[in-house]
Amino acid sequence: MTERDPGTLARARFAEIVPPLLDDAYSLAKWLCRDGSDAEDIVQEAALRALKALETTVVDKPKPWFLMIVRNAAMSFMAKNRSKTIAYAGDMDDLDALGPQDGEAPPSAEETLIALEDSARLKEAIAVLPPALLETLVMRDVNGLSYREIADATGAPIGTVMSRLSRGRASLARTLRAEG
Amino acid sequence: MTDSRENLLRLNAALDGELGPMEQAAFEREMRDDPALAAEFARLSATRDAIQRAIPREKAPADLVARIAALAEPPSATVIPFRPPTPAPQARQAWSARGALSLAASLCVLGFAAGIALTSLRGLPPPPGAETALVSDFARAAIAGQPYDVASSDRHTVKPWLAGRTTVSADIVDLAAQGFPLAGGRVSVIDRIPAPTLVYRHNEHFVAVTELPAGAKPGAATVGVETIDGYHVARWSSDGLDFVAVSDADEAALGDFVAAFRRGKPHSAE
Repeated sequence: MTERDPGTLARARFAEIVPPLLDDAYSLAKWLCRDGSDAEDIVQEAALRALKALETTVVDKPKPWFLMIVRNAAMSFMAKNRSKTIAYAGDMDDLDALGPQDGEAPPSAEETLIALEDSARLKEAIAVLPPALLETLVMRDVNGLSYREIADATGAPIGTVMSRLSRGRASLARTLRAEG
Repeated sequence: MTDSRENLLRLNAALDGELGPMEQAAFEREMRDDPALAAEFARLSATRDAIQRAIPREKAPADLVARIAALAEPPSATVIPFRPPTPAPQARQAWSARGALSLAASLCVLGFAAGIALTSLRGLPPPPGAETALVSDFARAAIAGQPYDVASSDRHTVKPWLAGRTTVSADIVDLAAQGFPLAGGRVSVIDRIPAPTLVYRHNEHFVAVTELPAGAKPGAATVGVETIDGYHVARWSSDGLDFVAVSDADEAALGDFVAAFRRGKPHSAE
């Protein structure tokens, strides 16, 4: 093992780690940038970064590790190609001051269930979430990462992850109630 | 933090299975005793289910999966062998009379001799740094008739090939419409660091553009076109990256290429 050149070793690690994670990576990239073809570019770039990193890195937990690379690749992509989406470049902690009414009473179960059937409306509401809430929500509810793993992948403290997730879900429930 | 906010965080954590066993047991006890709490939990759970329906986990497209699987393949699967012993036509003519040397050896000797000849003809020592190394590379490649290590006009083939061998991820610009179709890529070594070189074709000439590794020693740090050993060399910086282009085409063509390349950079400010 030690006698193999690093390129071969990195390729072997890559082949083991990355292909099983491509559905998660593509889904994350797609919901972050809201475009399937951009998502392909992002995932390909992330794969190249991962291959390079694997020259020198041994990865304990492949899924949060690779999704972190995908998330960072998506951020560079958005900064480069979507000048209008400036929220990624800003300080995400500012967002944690938003949403003072998160704790208010939700609608009744019946109202909620009726509204929730409208998934197109929900999609729109998800699309306008602040990026920090969106990525937390996607990593949890689409990729199934734990709070700890999301904290590692996004570089946010675990309390911030909990608060973003809670606010993201509350905001979606509220949007649905307002429009439903 | 208000009580209701704390409560909401706990509901979410319970939903996500993130409570510790003691907390979870206490939460379940409370839910039994408090129908309002149980109802709130049910609503949150319904919201989460609706989110998962609205943005499902999707399958990655097959061609993306294939491109990424190709990254893990050994280089020999997609790559033309480095410096194959096929001679350039003029090299075969020049050396067939000798007959004693192998073709591969003859190419090395010829390339070396030509390099010395070009250098000594000019009578001045060449400027140090990356440009000189890249001009030598270009001359070697031109004499050997093998201007690239991977021949492809498809950036999806060239980019991963280069990324697997160099320390930077080259952005490949499609300049076919401007008269410079991509011909392939090769690795140049500058200050012992491998750097990606993209080779574009222009009529019967080539333009080789190299992204310098960070920390590579610059030679004459001029921006513009100069001539080294009979080849035209352009150097410029874009977004903190340094580029050197070497070409056997004329100065105007190289100028056009540089302008088109800079315009085509996806993250260029121009």
